[in-house]
Amino acid sequence: MSIDINMYSTNKQPTWCPGCGNFAIHVSLKKALMELNISPSQAFISFDIGCNGNGADTVNTYAFKGLHGRAIALATGAHIANRKYTVVADIGDGACFHEGIDHLINAIKSNYDMTILIHDNQNFALTTGQATVTTKQGKKMYALPEGKPERDIDINQLILSLQPTFFAKAYSGDPQQLTEIIKKGIEHKGCSVIQISQTCPTYNKECTPQWFNEHIIKLETLSQYNNSSLEDAQKLAKEMAQTGKIYTGIIHQHSNTPTFYDRLESRKDIQSELVDEVQEYDITQLLKYCN
Amino acid sequence: MYLNRIIVKFGGQSGQGINSVGTILTKSLNRAGYYTFSNREYPSLIKGGFANYQIDISNSSINSSSKKTNILCCMSKNSLNQYITDVLPNGVVIYDAQTLELEPQEQEYVKENNIKILNIDSKEVAKQNNAPAIMANAVLAGLVWKILKQKIEILTDEVEEMFKDKNIDMEAEKACLLAGYNTPLYVENLSQSIDTEKLKRTSEKKITMTGNDGVSLGALAGGMRAFFGYPMTPATSIFKFLGESANESKIVVKQAENEITAIQMAIGAMYMGTRAMTATSGGGFDLMSETISCSGISETPLVIVLAQRIGAGTGVPTWTGSGDITAAVKTAHGDFPRCVIQISDAKSAFTLTQKAFNIADKYQLPVIILTEKQIAEGLFSIDSLPPIEKIERGLQQGENRYQITESGISPRWIPSQDEKPYLHTSDEHNEDGHSTENAQEVYEMSKKRDKKMNLLKDEIAEPEYFGSPKAKTVLVGSGNTKNPILDIITNNLSSEDIAYLHYEYIYPTKTEKLTKLAQEGKRIILVENNQTGQLGKLITEESGYQFNEKLLKYDGRPFFIEDILNYLEGKSI
Ligand SMILES: Cc1ncc(C[n+]2csc(CCOP(=O)(O)OP(=O)(O)O)c2C)c(N)n1
Ligand code: SF4
Ligand SMILES: [Mg+2]
Repeated sequence: MSIDINMYSTNKQPTWCPGCGNFAIHVSLKKALMELNISPSQAFISFDIGCNGNGADTVNTYAFKGLHGRAIALATGAHIANRKYTVVADIGDGACFHEGIDHLINAIKSNYDMTILIHDNQNFALTTGQATVTTKQGKKMYALPEGKPERDIDINQLILSLQPTFFAKAYSGDPQQLTEIIKKGIEHKGCSVIQISQTCPTYNKECTPQWFNEHIIKLETLSQYNNSSLEDAQKLAKEMAQTGKIYTGIIHQHSNTPTFYDRLESRKDIQSELVDEVQEYDITQLLKYCN
Repeated sequence: MYLNRIIVKFGGQSGQGINSVGTILTKSLNRAGYYTFSNREYPSLIKGGFANYQIDISNSSINSSSKKTNILCCMSKNSLNQYITDVLPNGVVIYDAQTLELEPQEQEYVKENNIKILNIDSKEVAKQNNAPAIMANAVLAGLVWKILKQKIEILTDEVEEMFKDKNIDMEAEKACLLAGYNTPLYVENLSQSIDTEKLKRTSEKKITMTGNDGVSLGALAGGMRAFFGYPMTPATSIFKFLGESANESKIVVKQAENEITAIQMAIGAMYMGTRAMTATSGGGFDLMSETISCSGISETPLVIVLAQRIGAGTGVPTWTGSGDITAAVKTAHGDFPRCVIQISDAKSAFTLTQKAFNIADKYQLPVIILTEKQIAEGLFSIDSLPPIEKIERGLQQGENRYQITESGISPRWIPSQDEKPYLHTSDEHNEDGHSTENAQEVYEMSKKRDKKMNLLKDEIAEPEYFGSPKAKTVLVGSGNTKNPILDIITNNLSSEDIAYLHYEYIYPTKTEKLTKLAQEGKRIILVENNQTGQLGKLITEESGYQFNEKLLKYDGRPFFIEDILNYLEGKSI
């Protein structure tokens, strides 16, 4: 079957503001799937609630647009049920770092084989611009005329502290690099976290494309960066926190942590998927486990 | 014989091994061919507090506990003081110490009722048999076995089987059982009133299982392949059963980071087309409510076990009740269809859990299975499990996932690389699954979902009527209320002819049978293990029928047989 990019789109038009980074993120996701030869019927996307998730109607794959903050948890269940599917959780910074931060932490810890795309526009956009943890301290936001009072959280350090098997940063203004990173994330066996700096001209006016261009450095320009070293990644994170620079590329990747499923004793040597196994079972042999 | 049963009660503190001695005796009695119902009461702490384990023994199937006891075996002074006046005339009190001091009124009670007292220092006996103090319980088990006049081989065989894969010194364990059984302290007249001969047993061995075992087995029989859990009494032992048997059942068992995750994982797995489940108690269930609403609007099948304990908030965590019926039926925002089923014992747990999956799949909605502490952790004895239900999924190909149909059920197919992909969404949507704010579309899709309730209501059974059609008094209840009432009916324990109407399907709520009985002029009594008569309120809401008479109990204890009998005789319970 030949795959083309239009197959991944429905007849619906996106409803985002002009200049919104969500356009490029979803196009990059579609392109990555296409280039990896993953057909619309072979992918499952778990959409969150937010401007980002409003793109769900325009994407033609198996998908579930569930609840605010829960895209990762729902994706996990889908992944466990059928590992033949490429599973992507598509989520905003508000949902991922606020309402559902526990899911991010546990997904990284458990190392489910799926890809998490974080649309980081540094605000709760759909609810019209409240501060998130990635909003800079002091910035005036919805209901905060004096500016956001609390400290920023260093998300890079937070994620790295969990020893992720794949952590990348990308930018919606560089869809080519983003597509490549999403491809690498999908190909990676384990939990791939991709934090995407996303333009939001409506509620994050300061961070214009020009601002991003001034702050972003592609990792590939560093001559000797070893992304398999967690220490190097942590040094990089420290530098980002001190300078305000954003490195894009795969910050850290390693493959010697098994995935959640591969560690399951009960599923050892079983070729079928849980979805193939729904049938009546004789439970006589299991009576010994009673009480 | 008192209530056609013999009752043995162990009392002591949490951490004294009461549970293990109770289970050993229960299983041995079932091995011997007796029916039993065993119930464990324990505090929500690890060491200390009150704990007891009661075994009711009979020659016919029983599923409830009585308040009184024939043999009381106490491992602590507290429990002796607590339960001694529950000992039946001519009964036996075993006190696990060298000496016994009774309060004056207790002495009086003992004398008046001809209660026999036996002191045994089981730890000392264990020591004499070169066994660790922890095996002192086996001495007590042996002694009680002797008083029950049972063959020692049955007890030792059962213990051997129970512990065969455990790291336990079987020789020492057996020595303790024998030492208790053959203790010189035993005298024939201890067994005088404990007339096991009258309880003619069948020769067949019974299967011993809890309600939670029944739920677990039902889920596995019905093709559940993933379980997502988070510990909360009294749901936790479902997690235990499924986890411990996973290497054999080959399912995935995952302890999620919290209840929200557990149910989200379940809904994700159900979307993909497997069968998955989660189980929790009230607090965890509240956390799950948003996802239940999401399941309703997105028409994603979902099965949740809500194992009830008594009280709001943290309540009384290890005690029983059925105060979450309203929560199961009404929780979560928006109008959406759902089904609520309530189990009452191990057998119904097995069957109804399978039915829950069929309903969830066919009607594409959340199904909540209600159980309660008394059923979840109570040990039932059964001859065999009911036959396995045929799996029904109602899968069907179609053009649009949310197609508006006459029945309200839209085509749903399992995601497959050969099929057309579709979007499930918690946004209101049109037929192809895209969000909509169009008034007509919002109205029509909501209406379509609601239609499923009519169909479901047609499919589910009316409440079941037990007892003679001529009975003038009909008790109405659900869940564990069935057990003491049916034990009364089948053993003819009530002087009055009574019948019982039992609700398994709580929602949608069928009321025809009940209103007909009321019209016939029967005396109708609502019996519920909660404060406000929650099932009754649903019935009233559905039919307009008002219950004039209600027997409600909400102190964390189940209905004992005596509660029901006393009520019927006009005494306070
Ligand atoms: C439980 C719950 N709480 C709050 C909301 C309201 N809500 C909808 S979107 C949103 C913020 C989304 O922010 P983010 O995840 O950053 O996505 P963005 O809109 O910025 O793309 C909130 C709070 C909700 N839908 N559900
Ligand atoms: S508010 Fe921001 S995130 Fe939302 S659509 Fe507009 S630009 Fe995009
Ligand atoms: Mg955002």
